[in-house]
Amino acid sequence: MSSLNIGGSQLDASWFLLLSAVLFGLGAVGVLVRRNPLVILISIELMLNAANLTLVAFSRQLQNMEGQLFALMSMTVAAAEAVVGLAILVDIFRVRDAEDIDDLSELRG
Amino acid sequence: MAIAVFFVAAAIAVLGGIGVITFHQPIRSVLSLVLVMLALSVIFLLLSAQFVFAVQIIVYAGAVMVLFLFVITLLGPARELGRGRLRYQGSLSAVFVLVLLGLMWTMLQGVQYRQPDKADLNFFGTVQAIAVGLFTTYLYPFELTSILLLVAAIGAIYLSRKHIDEL
Repeated sequence: MSSLNIGGSQLDASWFLLLSAVLFGLGAVGVLVRRNPLVILISIELMLNAANLTLVAFSRQLQNMEGQLFALMSMTVAAAEAVVGLAILVDIFRVRDAEDIDDLSELRG
Repeated sequence: MAIAVFFVAAAIAVLGGIGVITFHQPIRSVLSLVLVMLALSVIFLLLSAQFVFAVQIIVYAGAVMVLFLFVITLLGPARELGRGRLRYQGSLSAVFVLVLLGLMWTMLQGVQYRQPDKADLNFFGTVQAIAVGLFTTYLYPFELTSILLLVAAIGAIYLSRKHIDEL
């Protein structure tokens, strides 16, 4: 247990980590259950955000800026991932309807 | 006060996360994710990460989510209909995620918190503090990030290239 003094109140660092774990779990459910490729990309963004929360929470607990720098890097990677993922998705949608990701199984071995 | 702010923001974030995976129309999922990001930005502010807070709103809730909205308007509304082709997809997913959450819970119990570095909290998380890190110790990773963005931009242009030729 490690309590953080934020504006005079004591907040525990593990609360932030628990929130992050819950959000990551929700994102994982989205990736596994949903079949619309767009919603799967959105769920991946949710998981990346949860990871960012962990980085920033540990940065504050250790009072070390490196966690925040890493969170900024991961935001850049998330933006790049979204751009390329959406470009691929738009390209697939131009050729055919891909409302269900199970339909895109031509490469299955 | 800070405790109340944390719990309200956390509740909004979790509700938004549930919305992302339960709404059937993608546009509602995107708007729920915007809600999650705004709630998380409030939590970043609580953790004295002012610059990350601003970047979260401008880049994430602003740029990335608008990109998603553009793609949805381009593709038209798509609803998930009927059941998937995989059998037991829902129950297997539930098992995997429960195992994942159990794993994270056990890890959370065993976290060993190190003593903090005793940084100056008036300076912590400001643009200046971020810049000192980015332009001294982490200059190479920062410059490599620009190459990553260049590659992503070239990739996106390449993927839509042949449609430009047709015009």
